[in-house]
Amino acid sequence: MTGQGSPGRTTVRVGSAAGRADAGGAESCSSGESARRPSCPLPTPGAASGGCAYDGSAITLVPVADVAHLVHGPIGCVGNSWETRGSLSSGPTLYRRAFTTAMGEHDVIFGGEARLREAVLDVGRRFRPAAVFVYLTCVPALIGDDVEAICRDAAAELGIPVVPVLAAGFAGTKNAGNRLGGAALLTHVIGTAEPSYTTAYDVNLIGEYNIAGELWQIQPLLDRLGIRVLSRISGDARYAELTWAHRAKASMVVCSRALLSLAADLQSQYGVPWFEGSFYGVRATSEALRGFAQVLGDPELADRTEAVVAEQEARVAARLTPYRQRLAGVRAVLYTGGVKSWSMVAALQDTGVEVVATGTTKSSPDDVTRIRGLLGADAQLIEEGNPRDLLRIVRESGATLLAAGGRNRYTAMKGRVAFLDVNQERHQAYAGYDGVVALAAEIDRILSSPVFDRVRRPPPWAAGTPSRTLDNPRVPLGLEG
Amino acid sequence: MSEATAGRADSGNLDLRGDALRVLDHNELFGLQEYVQQHAAKRELEAAPSDEEVEATLAWSRGWEYRELNFAREAVVVNPLKACQPLGAVLAALGFAGTLPYVHGSQGCVAYFRSHLSRHFKEPVPAVSSSMTEDAAVFGGQANLIEGVENARALYHPDMIAISTTCMAEVIGDDVGMFVGSAEQAGALPVGFLAPYANTPSFVGSHLTGYDSMLYAILSLLTKDASPDAVVDPAAGSRPRINVLPGFDPYVGNVREISRLLDQLGVDVTVLGDHSDTLDSPADGDYKLYPGGTPLAAVTAAPGAVASLPLQAFSTRRSRQLIRDTWGQPVLDVAPPIGIRNTDAMLMAVAEATGTEIPVEVTAERGRVIDAITDSHPYVHGKRVAVAGDPDLVLGLLSFLLELGAEPTHILCTPGDADFEAAAYELLHASPYGAHATIWTGKDAWHLRSLVLTEPVDLIIGPSYLKGIAREADVPLVRFGFPVFDRHHLHRYPIIGYAGALNLLTWIVNTILDELDRKAPDYGLDIVR
Repeated sequence: MTGQGSPGRTTVRVGSAAGRADAGGAESCSSGESARRPSCPLPTPGAASGGCAYDGSAITLVPVADVAHLVHGPIGCVGNSWETRGSLSSGPTLYRRAFTTAMGEHDVIFGGEARLREAVLDVGRRFRPAAVFVYLTCVPALIGDDVEAICRDAAAELGIPVVPVLAAGFAGTKNAGNRLGGAALLTHVIGTAEPSYTTAYDVNLIGEYNIAGELWQIQPLLDRLGIRVLSRISGDARYAELTWAHRAKASMVVCSRALLSLAADLQSQYGVPWFEGSFYGVRATSEALRGFAQVLGDPELADRTEAVVAEQEARVAARLTPYRQRLAGVRAVLYTGGVKSWSMVAALQDTGVEVVATGTTKSSPDDVTRIRGLLGADAQLIEEGNPRDLLRIVRESGATLLAAGGRNRYTAMKGRVAFLDVNQERHQAYAGYDGVVALAAEIDRILSSPVFDRVRRPPPWAAGTPSRTLDNPRVPLGLEG
Repeated sequence: MSEATAGRADSGNLDLRGDALRVLDHNELFGLQEYVQQHAAKRELEAAPSDEEVEATLAWSRGWEYRELNFAREAVVVNPLKACQPLGAVLAALGFAGTLPYVHGSQGCVAYFRSHLSRHFKEPVPAVSSSMTEDAAVFGGQANLIEGVENARALYHPDMIAISTTCMAEVIGDDVGMFVGSAEQAGALPVGFLAPYANTPSFVGSHLTGYDSMLYAILSLLTKDASPDAVVDPAAGSRPRINVLPGFDPYVGNVREISRLLDQLGVDVTVLGDHSDTLDSPADGDYKLYPGGTPLAAVTAAPGAVASLPLQAFSTRRSRQLIRDTWGQPVLDVAPPIGIRNTDAMLMAVAEATGTEIPVEVTAERGRVIDAITDSHPYVHGKRVAVAGDPDLVLGLLSFLLELGAEPTHILCTPGDADFEAAAYELLHASPYGAHATIWTGKDAWHLRSLVLTEPVDLIIGPSYLKGIAREADVPLVRFGFPVFDRHHLHRYPIIGYAGALNLLTWIVNTILDELDRKAPDYGLDIVR
């Protein structure tokens, strides 16, 4: 099932000096100069658009479970967003509390520094977190609150790290915020402590957020190879493990264009080589595992990896067979941002589903190249996320499944299209070999729902024949004759 | 780990047990032995405190000493129960036909509003922004607004663009009114294009203020030529017509219910504004950007109605003033029609204003709901209840709880002000069941946690955000208000009128009965309740 150099192969790219230059440019969109490069998608005024830089920085850092995440801003920034992320923790739950200074008019006029100082000290004393992360938002950035100085003073007073995350909403897109979140780690956290011991197989996972437990799902595979995850950045992470990420022997950037720059900086500053990969799909997972062996330069590990890959692929192929047969001929449109536009394509293909179009709103040229590699030159790329156009493309391409994020769920339902949630709100882990089976089973379950037969049929009293979009009803696996 | 998963703690590789077709969700999957061990190892690695230490600290945090420390908290909000102004403005805009909510400011706010409203209403929510970035922070947002409205018109073909603002635009001092004029001059908007705007910074007020400001802006613009004398209602038939202002209403069923109820009185209704069809449209195979909303012509004719009936007071302050002062129209300032006596008062006010009579059908409906209350009251009577939410919904609910003989104990209303406190105090102290209640405004969910853990209650009523507190306090949560993300379809029901009272009663009493059964010993698991 591995791609034999075919267009479907999900390549692993090893970081290099060249990779670094690349990562600073087209790969990651930051604030400032590079945000204006043509390769960095800028939001269009007046068109529906995604999250802001603050949101992106929160996505990257809030999964750190034993940290108090304090949002310095008016009520809206956290009031409209808390408790809605799917990053899971195996231990502390402090990261799920929404802390905010809830700036009022008085703060806007006289400055929010006094309130912030008191808030950091209160949170630090009350909750005894491993660290406090302070998130800048539009208002304090505009009125000029010196968040860095307050963090420095509060850290001295509390005796714990207080990290400023400087990603005000207007600094750019969600991707820019991801990157700025990574930059905060590099500037203030990484390299501030040493692990108690190291091994030759210590690695970082960068950009893996443990959505629905996906990090946990791939951990057993790494355990079998003897690979130790030294730092998770940042799914199910603890503050301490971030501090010694610089001692890893390799980093894997998991599905995150925006955090390539963090990996590249870890290489240039600390000599940690990196590669980019994905755990979505059978082929991608195998390539990711091989990537560790390749970057660590260990032939023995490479042999072990091949043995595990062969065994796991055979095992998962057997589990997938009934689903691949059932899903053959099913057409799907994928609409999601950035790297997931290619990593999810690979995973969907592994389940037997034909991906007929994919969204590229937030994708880089490199992402698009990968998509073309997976889908062929004729692939339909959706650049604009207008819901009506999305449904038109679904209809014209004969797709019966829309795989997208939560906000598009209800659009799909209006259009009588079956919907697969591939973003943060889902409760299924799709990573690794067993994750592909979970993905296939979920797709099959969704498509087999009698609801979509009902929703496609006109009411019996309506004139005309049954809707042309009516499929033969699918019988769920396990309920067949 | 639950018993069900403990029994399956054999292997992470399900297929090895011939289990190929069984796929576990994350609640079950990570209860498998392999993952339990993985997590235990992680705990060791992170040098987690001992279970005893965790328990001792938790116990302390649930006591009076911590409660006092907690209420001394000033600079930091923990787990807010409040949303911001432009979220309300977006909802107000969605109440009008062909209207695109447009938020002038940075783009992330709008993404949050769309998600937030989508998660509650389970519907797609169209809204766009000026997508302001650093350039706009330096040079002002005029260029973004002009480009934005031009793009929005080209992409989404609205009849009206309702512009609210984010903090960013307010802090840098953008003059939206002037920008709209500039957009007309630049040709981005046709001259006279309907573009009401409201200043809605998040650092002032709440989603209720924002709702009111946008409603005010829309009503002012669409009725700017109205005068108290000259208005003739073109839709006027033989039946009297009144305007209904739902306010920031999380229940789409309410609008339909009030229209049904007043129709029985022989009264026609213009809803200002009606987001019920916008946020509850049929799955008919077609995605419509503007599936509902009050027709703009009906808004223009609204000053000609007999009176206006606001269903919420705190989210319609300025709008009510406009109606009273500029339209010269009577405003029926009644309590939110939640529960029997509030519905009675509302109907009588409408009947009086419109010269109609309450028909026997309505009286019979009322009687049926009162009958239902008599069936359920033994289970609700004397139950101590913590209530959290927005002011009008809380006041309406309190009134109904007191009618049922429940004892509101902790009342928490983050956006509440002195008027709310006075109204709640008066209501509670007029009843022996409310005399011991405490009222908290400006406090958050972390305060509520201390309240229910130090002075226990039997039931919590409020938004989904309270589910963690309910679990910790080991009491059930009746989802109520906004937002409700984790229970389905409650928002499609009315909670106003007699039908709404029955719905609320059903949810409350059945939650109490579920809890009774869940905790009953074997001998107490009665089949008849």
